[in-house]
Amino acid sequence: MKMIEVKNIRKSFGDLEVLKDVSFDVEQGDVVAILGPSGSGKSTMLRSLIELEKVDRGEIKIEGETLCTNGVYAPKRKKRAILNKMGMVFQHFNLFPHMNIRDNLMCACLCSKQGTKKELEKLAEELLAKVELSDKIDAMPAQLSGGQKQRVAIARALMRKPDIMLFDEPTSALDPELTKEVLNVIKQLSREKMTMLIVTHEIGFAVEAANKIIFLDGGYVAASGTPDEVVNNSGNERIMSFLDKVM
Amino acid sequence: MANLKEWIPLMLQGCGLTVKLFFIVIVLSLPLGLILTFLYTGKSYVIRKIVGFYILIMRGTPLLLQIFFIYFGLPFVPKIGPMLTINDRFTAGCLAYVLNYAAYFAEIFRGGLLSVDKGQYEAAKVLGMTETQTTFKIILPQMIRISLPAVSNEAIILVKDTALITTIGLADLLKVTNNIVNRTTNITAFIVAGCFYLVMSYFLTLAFKHLEKRYAF
Ligand SMILES: Nc1ncnc2c1ncn2[C@@H]1O[C@H](COP(=O)(O)OP(=O)(O)O)[C@@H](O)[C@H]1O
Ligand SMILES: [Mg+2]
Repeated sequence: MKMIEVKNIRKSFGDLEVLKDVSFDVEQGDVVAILGPSGSGKSTMLRSLIELEKVDRGEIKIEGETLCTNGVYAPKRKKRAILNKMGMVFQHFNLFPHMNIRDNLMCACLCSKQGTKKELEKLAEELLAKVELSDKIDAMPAQLSGGQKQRVAIARALMRKPDIMLFDEPTSALDPELTKEVLNVIKQLSREKMTMLIVTHEIGFAVEAANKIIFLDGGYVAASGTPDEVVNNSGNERIMSFLDKVM
Repeated sequence: MANLKEWIPLMLQGCGLTVKLFFIVIVLSLPLGLILTFLYTGKSYVIRKIVGFYILIMRGTPLLLQIFFIYFGLPFVPKIGPMLTINDRFTAGCLAYVLNYAAYFAEIFRGGLLSVDKGQYEAAKVLGMTETQTTFKIILPQMIRISLPAVSNEAIILVKDTALITTIGLADLLKVTNNIVNRTTNITAFIVAGCFYLVMSYFLTLAFKHLEKRYAF
């Protein structure tokens, strides 16, 4: 089943056209690594999927439902239902600093009455156990390391039971020795067949964990395919020089 | 000195009025300031401009002038003057202070609002929270926490600004003290009054320090 269909999307910030013509599909259970030079529109593309940026042209479908066509978005209720299928994890974690970890996880679910307090508390405990942070449930975000914060952010996104997870450079703000613990959680999700899109500079991780790579450059998809096709056998010079720099 | 017993109770009474004024102004101007902040940063261009103008006037002219304007000036407004007249000095005074302090608090809260990271809005949005939920559960608590030190500072200024109400003839701490000094030709009362103000400011500072600690993040 197609989880995401993106057709010819375009997006400008003022005069700057960031996405010029981007199309791709994501199947159920795909782990897609999005690579590309800085400023190539990776974040903009990812954020467009969850409506943090509005695209000007083209079509986005999530699980067969149309989020937008040529700048026209689905009506509020339907849009909300579509967006609820996705969770997102940011480079800078964006935990709520004034709440402890338990409330960070439960806040949004309580707001939308996703379950009773008891059920949600149980779910929060399960998910924290999954990211190996059970002992931090009463801690405040400021008391955690970067890697721990990011794992909490992942658990928080999972509280909403998304079908698709979007990661925007989840390890770029972390010290090298902390990236592994976050990547391990993502790998665990991939074993559970979670559909994921991950913007990353960790080529090794992309090759190992992703089954598909999209290489963005200058607002276009410069290459896409299996890691082997894109990384090892691509004749594309831009990709080669990019890989040289980051590997 | 001999009449210490006689004038200390008088000064305490004056203190009572000062404290009452302080609390009424704080309790009313903080929420009003908050509302002004949201109007000032809201969607309507016209409202933003109006609130901006209001804040400009309130912060750009002396509080004493505003007190005089409301108590002495409003009755002289052509035609509608009688309708605007506030006969009770205390009410008129309170109104002037509230309108003035709300403008300052609005600016403080706006500063707090601007320093809430935009990632907080994005995180709330991708978690499916509505705008209202985001404002009340995520943004407001952080904005207030960030604003606390500046609010504390402003509140201490208010303790001392309450003395301005003397000028419209109310028996606050300063007025009472001044009368006593005139009567006794002895400056002790001034020093005692100074201590009273100091004690009030001190406890206020403690209270805010406690709040800052309590809501630290
Ligand atoms: N909100 C914005 N307003 C204006 N320009 C933006 C905005 N967001 C991103 N850009 C610009 O769009 C281009 C692509 O940004 P981005 O998608 O963040 O790239 P990447 O994530 O690949 O590094 C950059 O030139 C960036 O400066
Ligand atoms: Mg980016």
